[in-house]
Amino acid sequence: MDKYITLKAVQFSYKLQIIIFSVKYNTQVDDYTLTASNMTKTYDYLFKLLLIGDSGVGKTSVLFRFSEDAFNTTFISTIGIDFKIRTIEMDGKRIKLQIWDTAGQERFRTITTAYYRGAMGIILVYDVTDAKTFENIKNWIRNIEENASADVEKILLGNKCELEERRQVSKERGERLAVEHGIKFLETSAKTGANVEEAFLTLARDIKTKTEKKLEASNPPKGSIQLKSVEQNRKPTSWFSKCSLL
Amino acid sequence: MGEDLCSEYDVIVIGTGMTESIIAAAASRIGKRVLHLDRNDYYGGMWATFSFDALQRWLKECHNQDQKNITNFKNKTYISQDEILISCGSQSSVSNIDEQWFIPKNVPVNASENSFSKNEKNDFWDQEKIKNLSRKFNLDLAPKLLFSRGSLVDLLISSNIARYAEFRSVSRILTWYNGQLETVPCSRADVFSTKDVSVMEKRLLMKMLQLCAEYKPNGNEFKNFEKKTFADYLKSKELTENIVHYILYAIAMSSINTPCMTGVERTQKFLSSLGRFGNTPFLWPLYGSGELPQCFCRLCAVFGGVYHLKRTADSLVVLKTDMKSICKGIVSNDQFLSTHHLILNVSEAPSSFLQETFNEGLSRGIFITNRSIYSSEKESLTLLQFPYGIKNKPITVIEIGSSTHACPDGLYIIHMTCKQNTNATEDLKPAVEKLLEIEQIDLDPSHSASSGISGFAYDYEIYSGAIDMTNKENQEVKSVRPQVLWALYFNCLETSQCDLSVNVPSNIYLTSGPDADIDFEFAVKQAKEIFKKMYPNEEFLPRAPDPEELLLDDEEIISGDNNSSLTSTE
Repeated sequence: MDKYITLKAVQFSYKLQIIIFSVKYNTQVDDYTLTASNMTKTYDYLFKLLLIGDSGVGKTSVLFRFSEDAFNTTFISTIGIDFKIRTIEMDGKRIKLQIWDTAGQERFRTITTAYYRGAMGIILVYDVTDAKTFENIKNWIRNIEENASADVEKILLGNKCELEERRQVSKERGERLAVEHGIKFLETSAKTGANVEEAFLTLARDIKTKTEKKLEASNPPKGSIQLKSVEQNRKPTSWFSKCSLL
Repeated sequence: MGEDLCSEYDVIVIGTGMTESIIAAAASRIGKRVLHLDRNDYYGGMWATFSFDALQRWLKECHNQDQKNITNFKNKTYISQDEILISCGSQSSVSNIDEQWFIPKNVPVNASENSFSKNEKNDFWDQEKIKNLSRKFNLDLAPKLLFSRGSLVDLLISSNIARYAEFRSVSRILTWYNGQLETVPCSRADVFSTKDVSVMEKRLLMKMLQLCAEYKPNGNEFKNFEKKTFADYLKSKELTENIVHYILYAIAMSSINTPCMTGVERTQKFLSSLGRFGNTPFLWPLYGSGELPQCFCRLCAVFGGVYHLKRTADSLVVLKTDMKSICKGIVSNDQFLSTHHLILNVSEAPSSFLQETFNEGLSRGIFITNRSIYSSEKESLTLLQFPYGIKNKPITVIEIGSSTHACPDGLYIIHMTCKQNTNATEDLKPAVEKLLEIEQIDLDPSHSASSGISGFAYDYEIYSGAIDMTNKENQEVKSVRPQVLWALYFNCLETSQCDLSVNVPSNIYLTSGPDADIDFEFAVKQAKEIFKKMYPNEEFLPRAPDPEELLLDDEEIISGDNNSSLTSTE
């Protein structure tokens, strides 16, 4: 508990005293996210992914391997990590992956229901050197069924697969559990980087396929409508000026 | 899972309601070691939002609360000579629970077709169907709105906690005037487009609102009305009756007894929040109000706060000296946990801390209905201040539909809240009878709603024109009002007016549950005040950095191909 990851906030954004409130305006539903960012949209899709699993299975390490291509043995429990972003390219589409860490709230099984909101993909992680973390996957899946949206994509990862001599869970057991729940499975090593990239890309591809299918279904005559064009309509310009104060 | 907690903290917070969660986040944000506990297995306490099943479990727990035996701790090993152990209370804060179904348990498919095909365009609902869709419901114990320029929206943005939540704007404000529902024009565009008021009245309304919006404390406009009511003031302006009604009840959300200056301030607050995010001044959190305390908990956890649900303080260890008493820590699951400050929800406080017995309460009603109280083409998110509750206390009505994830498609949730007079069922009756259809739907056609077998008397005269002016026929009017499928009434404590610091050790801070107001302003204010008492020189929830702004210390990164950092793809 004593070791903290030191946080360095990059100064430039603080200097921008004028905060532009970007208002996401969906044409059908008046949803708002109150964000203070001024980022221009540089992606075609935004996917929210979650990491879930027992404490110490290496969720944060997997996240860092994927987002920074770095490995760090020193963090004991997750402090200060909210989510990480990496934009990938797939079939000519830029996909922004927003990957959320549990912030240590998995320790006593106190993950907030709010954590699951809007998640499109969930990465379930256990530690191949710790059978208990594997057995708990069933509980986590139940937790997901209770809280996440019903059509969320899932993938199961057996992490720390480089520690062959300490292995307690065989690859076959992992595969069997994945088949039981109808999800994909990979053994990964955040330390060596084995399969980490692949795991995220597999999940992203599955979500992308599903998203595009949905888009097609909702716009059958025109074929696949890009989300981008929808976003252009989002700008609430006329609407803002309309309701200025009396 | 069996791991023990670290035993030293700067702040221990008990209860995960709104005020407690804000304080926990604020303390954690400035680097304090925070332990956050809640006796329940869910977040939010009396601020929680539940699925249908979870709400049933909550009701069961409320019923069982009386039998709960509090374990008395005889173990004195935790304490030294001058210290005493005080058992924590668990005040039962919910009463008068009244749950009612208005639809059959289950309907065989062909039966529902036969008896309801003629008048139901919606699917027929039975209890089983509702229960099967449990997870599609997000039912709030304490439904609250955010003023677009209120303190919570400002706090969410300035602290960067806003990224954890999403909102929908309230799309219309209704009022009950002359026995019918009317849309209140609140924006300039509304005023111009409304058909309910004449051109002359439009000008008066605009002028009046302008006056309130521009009011400054030293102005002359309101000079002679400081001791009079807002209603008196409005009458003095020679406004028409409906304009007075709009401003007094819907915009100022006041009653005929509200003092003039309070009314002006409320009007101002309303007007200043217009046009920021939508056509009305209000936002509603998607998935329910219970999401918001969790957002603050998330921030607390991100900055190192430790969370443990289903765990609470069994007793407090208090050091008593001649002058004052100080809390040294808590005993929880037979473990002593020391702390510098203790935040305690009032429902957890030992009875000796409480100066008086609470006699203020809230009356709450939650209704699942099959249509909106005021149907329109698009699904609406509605706020209505029903002016004529018991003793002219207004009843706040919020109606939300499936687009806020409050309920499945085709259904609506109606929340009613007012100050407690007798019990929730009685207190909310005036609004329920005017707005909703509350007769049992029976499968047997001879027991259909029109036969009047239910105990509620209807006076069709009063609202024959209520919903649809052109529709004078009783039967058809009835079909327009939403049928209640399920209703829940309960009362809970309202402690926002109580002084909670009188009999309390100097480093213990008691927090209130949900208050009667429509917004979260009280909780934010209380949290700020308590934080300032604990850490007078620290900043309250400074902006949390975005993930892009976080860099690990270079020496901590062992390996890595630096060329492929995340910025390269951005």
